[in-house]
Amino acid sequence: MTDSRPVMRRQPPQIAQVSSISSSMLDVMVALLPALGMAVYLFGVRVLALTVVSILSCVGSEYLYRRLRKLPDTTRDLSACVTGLLLAMTLPVTAPYWAPVLGGVFAIVVVKQLYGGLGRNFMNPALAGRMLLTTFPGLMTNWVDAFQRPGLLSTADAVTSATPMSYLHNGQLPPQSVGQLLMGQHGGAMGSVAVMMLILGGIYLVGRRVIQPRATLAFLATVALLTFLFPQGDGGRVAWMLAQLFSGGLMLGAIFMASDYTTTPVTPRGQLLFGVGCGALTVLLRYYGSYPDGVGWAILTMNCCVWLLDRTGMPRRFGVTPFAATRERLSHIRASLAQIKFVKPQLRLFSRAGEGTMPGEGYLDELRGKVRHGTVLAVAVALMAGMVFGVHQLTDYATVRTETQLQQELLSQVMPQATIRSETPYRASGALSITAGYNNTGLVGYCIEVQAHGFGGLMTAVVGVNTNGEVTGVAVTSHKETLSVGTQALESDYLDQYKGKSGTIRPSGSNAVDTISGATATCDAITDCVNQALSIVANLDTEGVTEYVDGEV
Amino acid sequence: MRNRFLGGVHPTSHKESTRRKPIVPLEEPPKEVVIPLVMCSEGGAEPVVKPGDRVTVGQIIAKPTGGGVYVHASVSGKVKAIEPRPHPWGGKWPAVVIQNDFKDTPCPDLPLPMDWARMNREEALERICQAGITSLGGGASPTHLRLKEAVGKTEVLIVNAAECEPYLTADHRLLLEKGDQILQGVQMVSRLVRADKAILVVAGDKLNAVEFLERRLRRKKREVEIVTIQTRYPLGMEKQLIRSVTGREVSPGQSALDVGCAVFNVATVYAIRHALLTGEPLTYRAVTVSGGAVARPRNLWAPIGTPLRCLLEAAGGLREEAAVTLTGGPMNGLVQEDLDAPVVKNTNALLCLTEQEHNVDQPEMVCVKCGHCVSACPMDLNPALVYRAMRLGEKELLPHLHLEDCMDCGCCSYICPSHIPLMDLVRQAKKEGASHD
Repeated sequence: MTDSRPVMRRQPPQIAQVSSISSSMLDVMVALLPALGMAVYLFGVRVLALTVVSILSCVGSEYLYRRLRKLPDTTRDLSACVTGLLLAMTLPVTAPYWAPVLGGVFAIVVVKQLYGGLGRNFMNPALAGRMLLTTFPGLMTNWVDAFQRPGLLSTADAVTSATPMSYLHNGQLPPQSVGQLLMGQHGGAMGSVAVMMLILGGIYLVGRRVIQPRATLAFLATVALLTFLFPQGDGGRVAWMLAQLFSGGLMLGAIFMASDYTTTPVTPRGQLLFGVGCGALTVLLRYYGSYPDGVGWAILTMNCCVWLLDRTGMPRRFGVTPFAATRERLSHIRASLAQIKFVKPQLRLFSRAGEGTMPGEGYLDELRGKVRHGTVLAVAVALMAGMVFGVHQLTDYATVRTETQLQQELLSQVMPQATIRSETPYRASGALSITAGYNNTGLVGYCIEVQAHGFGGLMTAVVGVNTNGEVTGVAVTSHKETLSVGTQALESDYLDQYKGKSGTIRPSGSNAVDTISGATATCDAITDCVNQALSIVANLDTEGVTEYVDGEV
Repeated sequence: MRNRFLGGVHPTSHKESTRRKPIVPLEEPPKEVVIPLVMCSEGGAEPVVKPGDRVTVGQIIAKPTGGGVYVHASVSGKVKAIEPRPHPWGGKWPAVVIQNDFKDTPCPDLPLPMDWARMNREEALERICQAGITSLGGGASPTHLRLKEAVGKTEVLIVNAAECEPYLTADHRLLLEKGDQILQGVQMVSRLVRADKAILVVAGDKLNAVEFLERRLRRKKREVEIVTIQTRYPLGMEKQLIRSVTGREVSPGQSALDVGCAVFNVATVYAIRHALLTGEPLTYRAVTVSGGAVARPRNLWAPIGTPLRCLLEAAGGLREEAAVTLTGGPMNGLVQEDLDAPVVKNTNALLCLTEQEHNVDQPEMVCVKCGHCVSACPMDLNPALVYRAMRLGEKELLPHLHLEDCMDCGCCSYICPSHIPLMDLVRQAKKEGASHD
């Protein structure tokens, strides 16, 4: 019948919307420009240098990987550029130049390309790269304040400061006003501080129909709702909610990472659930996590649930009432549960021979393939591990470890009774640092680092004071005393005299030490240090305000 | 604009070039018209004239076999041949070729005008069948059969003047120029199918037509309601229209009548009114000739059977080379290889798109799971999973995707930033699903 008469068959559309993957990616980069510009204004040109390094390392590693695997070049879709830009935005401006390189290579090669490239990765590459970098001590904790503008090559003069997130983590409102939070006038990651600019970028993306704002809005609304319902601090609900919304990496994550194409659900309902999940996890991690911020972890965790969310969020079939749709879904679940059978696990290291060939041949082919794949995998893992390990070794660990060792030796000298020492968050005027010493019975005392003026100049000493207020030991860490005259006073014979003293040490009398003739000024300085330490411990306010300057995630 | 239609896409409308151009008859009528025997989605037709016969305007030249409708001569003249000619639906099919004598002699034995106040329903349906009216919007289904089915089952009669496809303005002009007649026609059809309520749906890009019709309604009371809905393709599709207007959803496997709605195109309604009140059959229709490659885009009142070439000449020919020529809108239209194919009853436009407008040949990239296709699908399907099933080999997904609901609107292919031919993939998947069962 159909052959004997013309039949109208619908044809695919003859027009298409003009945007493409690369134009969408370009739009994302354009949307990030205001935030980047603001970052340059706040933190100086080093921002640009880090961004360029990050983009180059992402694009370069994508190009090289595809080249070496003899795959078609995909750098022209600009997705690697976006990854590089986003990765740079999440770094502190004091980050060394190897950080974006390592993060970028990890993001592109391990997170994106090993899973099959654009469209196949399940985690946000930029975020995963950034999270790898948080494992380096000291790297993600140096948040310099706005307008510090560290130099292109050296970041030594930059002073780190507490970020709004670290105040929030301690249950306090940050000292910045909402306006300052919006304009990014505080320490933090380069791209995430200028919240206003990020919002502008988000509006641009939604206006250009590059992203659908469902996940973003659900994310922000959940965070807003939860922080409004469960406020901390004493500034009121709304102030707490606004501070939570405008600090840390929330805006950057919600606008640019929770709306990423590949790693978020495709169904509208799935996107909503994704946003709600991200929001709830973020608030939980911010309230109960050990890092001040949890946006990154929240998004990465939800990235892993995308397949599930997409299945849950499947749109209701057109023309089926919600009740019938639920019934249908339940029957599906029942059917799939009924299909679950227990299959005896079979360990097949070398799987069965290929069909149609001689058994041996197939086996050998299999084996060869397995060996080849195994070798490639082992080499890749070894390279990656070597890279991570090497960089850890070469950079921060070496200095951090020697510093820590010296510190520990010094502390064991002044407080031999303590077995565990840990830096406390307490502050007291005059004390450079206060370290608590513990042994298996509990708190032994505090080691106080203090300064006093000696004969030649400023002298720094660490004084151990136990919980009874008695000196357990004194060590001088730096001084400018004259050799032979002043340094006699720095030897253990003299310093040991202070052990067991308490109260205030007088120049003479019952509570005094024997000064060394010719080095009175030095001895006085040491005594001054010890007295300072004793009074600090006596007046130590352990209940008061604590301030962590910690990594922000 | 009270109702909103979710999903769908909103392509650049391009209607500006023709929306102010009135529907005018061809200055130079075609030298010959090619009237295919079959212009209706059901049933065939047998010619009742022979080559050499003289025919007049409106004379029956083919009688239906099966459920089809009559076919009429649209010009007067001599039957040159009955032979296979290119058909706009594809292929070559038998058609009556009439040499025009440019006299437009009316047919002497046309049925008399009806007094529709005392109209007999059976008689009216028979008249509609004899007038050869099919759905003029695109479906080409025989109207008298759909009317017959709808009698007594219709609560809401929906007359579709959405015209949501880009470029098309023929219905818009018809509303502006024949507003009174259309309102009368709506009322007639409403009475014919015994509907409780008649709604004329106009898309939000035709607010001048809405204003005009409402002014008419104020002057002369008719039981017609005008509803304006934001323009989005495919608002004009039956199920979407019903959902937008009444909030009812047509369940899978059911038809519009199961939810008490009957949908007719506005041009069809106009043709019904014309046939009933004057007795003249459907021989002319409004066609928009547009597209970036057309020199002078315009709306034409063309005899059915006019070769497309003739329409194009009336619109000043091509300004530049056309990348694609199609009848109907760009989203859902039919690509025409041969400009000798004629205008048939459901041809509402002839479009010649430039290379820039016809931008569908961009290289296909991988799916990045942006989800635009899921949001755009008016039937709430998940084309991204179809891609996964067809291209990444996860065929076990297919039975859960309800692909039989797909109505080939092409929104997914249109919106995809990776330029994946999703509509083709869905079709393939449907075929595979069918072969599995």
